[in-house]
Amino acid sequence: MTYLTRRSALLGTTAAAFAAATATMPARAGAPAAGKQAPGFYRYKVGDIEVNVITDGVVRAKLADNFVTNVKSDEVKEALAAAHYDREIFNNTFTPIVLNSGGKLTLIDTGVGEAGFNGTKGTAGQFTNNLNASGLNPGMIDRVIISHYHGDHINGLLKADGSIAYPNAEILVPAPEHAFWMSDAEMAKAPKGRMEELFKNNRRVFAGEVLKRLHTYEHGKEVVPGVTAVSTPGHTPGHTSFVVASGDKKVFVQSDVTHVPYLFVRHPGWHAAYDQDGAMAEATRRKVYDMLVADKMMVQGFHYPFPAHAYIEKSGDGYREVMVPWNAAI
Amino acid sequence: MFTLSRRDFLTSTAATTAALSLGLSPSELRAATPPAGKQAPSFYRYKVGDFEVTQIADGARTFPMPDQFVVNQKKDDALAAAEAAYIPKGQVTIVFNPMVINTGSKLVVIDTGNGLGAFEQTKGAVGQMNGTMKAAGIDPAAVDIVVISHFHGDHIGGLKTADGKLVYPNAEIKVPAAEWAFWTDEANAAKANGFNKAQFPNVKKMLDGLGDKVTKYEAGQEVAPGITSISTPGHTPGHVSYAVQSGSGKLLVQSDVTNIPMFVDHPDWHISFDNDPSLAQQTRHKFLDMAAAEKALIAGYHFWFPSVGHVEKAGSGYRLVPVAWNPSI
Repeated sequence: MTYLTRRSALLGTTAAAFAAATATMPARAGAPAAGKQAPGFYRYKVGDIEVNVITDGVVRAKLADNFVTNVKSDEVKEALAAAHYDREIFNNTFTPIVLNSGGKLTLIDTGVGEAGFNGTKGTAGQFTNNLNASGLNPGMIDRVIISHYHGDHINGLLKADGSIAYPNAEILVPAPEHAFWMSDAEMAKAPKGRMEELFKNNRRVFAGEVLKRLHTYEHGKEVVPGVTAVSTPGHTPGHTSFVVASGDKKVFVQSDVTHVPYLFVRHPGWHAAYDQDGAMAEATRRKVYDMLVADKMMVQGFHYPFPAHAYIEKSGDGYREVMVPWNAAI
Repeated sequence: MFTLSRRDFLTSTAATTAALSLGLSPSELRAATPPAGKQAPSFYRYKVGDFEVTQIADGARTFPMPDQFVVNQKKDDALAAAEAAYIPKGQVTIVFNPMVINTGSKLVVIDTGNGLGAFEQTKGAVGQMNGTMKAAGIDPAAVDIVVISHFHGDHIGGLKTADGKLVYPNAEIKVPAAEWAFWTDEANAAKANGFNKAQFPNVKKMLDGLGDKVTKYEAGQEVAPGITSISTPGHTPGHVSYAVQSGSGKLLVQSDVTNIPMFVDHPDWHISFDNDPSLAQQTRHKFLDMAAAEKALIAGYHFWFPSVGHVEKAGSGYRLVPVAWNPSI
């Protein structure tokens, strides 16, 4: 008998054995492949609050040379390979959450929206489909809380035709973030390229019906019952994280304190090109992650792999995320 | 204060006006959305070459860790390892993850979960496979081949319903010949004790009376196109794993070479369910060495759902790196 020889394991056996094995089977057409992923939602409880984690999908693109601004791209490629990813491709995943607290539904960040779905042929912008698959729908959302003004967090406020995607929701935004992006003086100072584009996009989204429903919130205060805004600047000037708490349970909704964990949790000193102020973002990152470790608080991370919920441990001169074991019966 | 039902809200503008005059915002008027209270259907798809694999969660059992759970270690060490893996203090959690492989020509199930009888007994904690595979759009009647890795109840329990009907009525059931020989031998049943003793009657219940639906295979043989069995004894005498290959895609299906990932971390630890612990330990090292050297994708029946990842060497043991969920296959 063969025992674990590589050849027997990986090259298979003879055609004769295969023919013998299949001879007795009834002839039936093969079942078609499903060709798509399971509906991307996942639920867990924080005290009395039900958290619905909903994936918005992924944008895959060739790793940009300057994606991490303060290390060589070869180092980044090594880190991708070490995490068992293709070393040339960056997988940018997006994971909004919907909280059900006392029957009110609060969405935190929107994903890239319907226009993003169309633009990526459905690899991203999946939020609405996955929300619907979970038994909820956009009309049921009572409030949308925005963490910061980047397209993957706000563009889903609008449908592809520019109308509002959440017809019954109030829109709650961080006061300093809104002030920064709506400041004409700041816009005039914005460097050409990405920053200029961000100003343009933010003024496109925060207009019309969205603006009518908009309320600003302050850091350090409860935005809605059970959700407290925490100032975590650097990624953007008014970037916000949240502590979601009920009873003695809580979770830290970090927004973009780190981008993907296998790069920036492992290497908190790395500065993502998306960080507007790299040094400040790093200081925030270390402070937040030291706190998560000290308090044994779990994190919910917008750019973590779905379901984007993890424990954090200290590891070397960085940290390590341990994804929550999937609970098949909450 | 009055309360509003959704219908009132949708049909009555008068109520809205009244409420607004009380200072309520539109969102406060809307009917409460009840919590869903249950998990998403827990299945996960990925491609291995042209094959489509669907991992299906059968559920989990959490129970106080028995004194002899890890037979060759101090209980405190085993408890510490479980706690380090974020299992509730003093407890152990075991998850079960069967799989379905669509090869294009055949629909193949590998192991069947705890079964519908266990689903009733545990109020749905385990035995979820049948419901979840239907949620995944897979009709049990369309399954061509059910491959069994070994005869423990959590792997064969889903072959029949609680009242003894076949769950996969049109499937050929392929079982390891060595496993069949061991578990159908009355002499082995007579001298069995402990964990093994409880398995013999269940083997009879699940595998008796299947007639020519059952085919026995030798380890090393192909059990379905592109799916080759590998002898990995120790956990049970005829325990097998599988290599799945399609084009350049490759997957190792370890079955119970290890139980939950703490036994990947500690390959020399003997779980009480291993029939021949020393042989199981040797097998574990060989298999995990191969998986690490190949950088192969590896599916583990008792890995956390979606129960597929990569194994790396780490110190005197190994480390499991779960795959990142791919939202767009």
